Amino acid sequence: MIRVENIWKSYDDFQVLKGVSFDLAEQEVKVIFGPSGSGKSTLLRCINMLSPPEKGDIYLRGENITLPGVNLNAVRTRLGMVFQHFNLFAHLKAIDNVSIGLRRVKGLPKKEAQTKALEALNRVRMAEWADHYPAQLSGGQQQRVGIARALAMEPDVILFDEPTSALDPELIGEVLQVMLDLAKTGTTMIVVTHELGFAKAVASEMIFLGEGVVIEKGTPQHFFVSPKSERVRKFLIQLEVLYGTHEELLKPMDEEKY
Amino acid sequence: MKEALEQSSDDSKLKKKKLLLGASIAVIAIILLIILSNLSCTFPSLVETDYCIVARYWDRLVSGFLTTMWLYGWALMFGFFLGLFLSLLRQYGGSIFSRVATGYIEIIRGTPLIAQLFLLYYGLNLPLSNWNIYTQFQIFGKEITLVFLSPQILFGIIALSLNSGAYQAEYLRGAMTSVSSGQLLAAQSIGMSKLGGIRHIILPQTLRRVIPAWSNEAAYLPKYTVVVGFIGAAELFGQAKTIVSLEFISVFTYIVVAIIFLVTIAIISRGLEIIHKRTGIPGL
Repeated sequence: MIRVENIWKSYDDFQVLKGVSFDLAEQEVKVIFGPSGSGKSTLLRCINMLSPPEKGDIYLRGENITLPGVNLNAVRTRLGMVFQHFNLFAHLKAIDNVSIGLRRVKGLPKKEAQTKALEALNRVRMAEWADHYPAQLSGGQQQRVGIARALAMEPDVILFDEPTSALDPELIGEVLQVMLDLAKTGTTMIVVTHELGFAKAVASEMIFLGEGVVIEKGTPQHFFVSPKSERVRKFLIQLEVLYGTHEELLKPMDEEKY
Repeated sequence: MKEALEQSSDDSKLKKKKLLLGASIAVIAIILLIILSNLSCTFPSLVETDYCIVARYWDRLVSGFLTTMWLYGWALMFGFFLGLFLSLLRQYGGSIFSRVATGYIEIIRGTPLIAQLFLLYYGLNLPLSNWNIYTQFQIFGKEITLVFLSPQILFGIIALSLNSGAYQAEYLRGAMTSVSSGQLLAAQSIGMSKLGGIRHIILPQTLRRVIPAWSNEAAYLPKYTVVVGFIGAAELFGQAKTIVSLEFISVFTYIVVAIIFLVTIAIISRGLEIIHKRTGIPGL
């Protein structure tokens, strides 16, 4: 459904992406991970052309969207995006955050837009918070509204840019649960995340990005059992240490002392 | 949460009532004071006091005040639209347009208002005949003339608007940058054009956020209208000067003018404060 071919992107003198390629099939969930500064977020922004790549092509259902003359606003209605910092519209209630795109972009009448928005909020279990403003919601609730905002436009694919990394630990679960539900109901997704549990559960393929190139691709099984490159192995160990699941940490600590 | 919201709306209704009560009491008090003091001026022993002499010119003060408010209203409004345009250019106009806007703002802010006014009025040297559009009406038996438009008023409004626009542009830009740029990205991510995002997402928040800073300009501008008196418009200060030249009572006359400005600006600031609270985004 999406084909990304040889994407190059730099900011000023810094080359962020150096030729990234991958394919995404219908109903597939792709997880992209890797160290910070490796270009994960940039890659997502290239895909929905919020920051167009300098070189390379992106095909959305066969149509090359990097060509000049493509109506990018129309393309972006088909590429939903969920942001790390939610980026909800602060002056609008949850329901209006979700319905504004339907009204202003798709031109639906107000009532129909509200109904659809409420459906979307229902899917992320936020319907009863519809009349609250973003500042009255917790981070997890805001992010779920963010997901509903993307969902409501009925995009071909939703891009998630580290959707849980700005959340307090106890709020991550509710967001991941919603994402799991979406994945299981056949939503096509590209997810930049370090939530390996989520990846294990639903990812059909994982991509490890390092310094602007794809270092390794494979199923979750492949990464957790037999990653090929040293770089990936080190990174995975760091994540394990971080989440307290590394075997060194699980050993009883003070043995030598006694 | 809902109870709290209802509670706060009850509070605001109560506050509104209190405010209306306060305002009407103040207005009645002022009117009573004026009537009483005018009555007191009928006592022979008080007729020659400064107060009673200046009070006889109240029609000039009224017409001056109305002229000042006339200049102020138009200048604030045109300045606002100019400022909005300039701030958008400066913030989103790309390198060339934003430089043009910045240049304009810096030139206006870096030169005296009176120089700008003189440059427009005398410097352009337009062949202006002495025309004007005015209205006359009577209050308490005195004829009051109010000039809507004359070369002086016209150039006064233009100069004040061009000047105020530069300042308002900076206030607006400040508020605009305080709206997180991520929201514009999000708007684009659901298919809005950049312009649509600015209009539906950035501007509504900018206008709410700008009020406290912008009230500075709203409070400055009535006093700036004084410079239009220097090219011959009969605004409040110009009328005061006339009274002084007729009666040689300067201190008291200027104190009256100062009090009129003080009360006007207090009302404007309070009004803006109320609007700011009313339009506040819940939770923020």
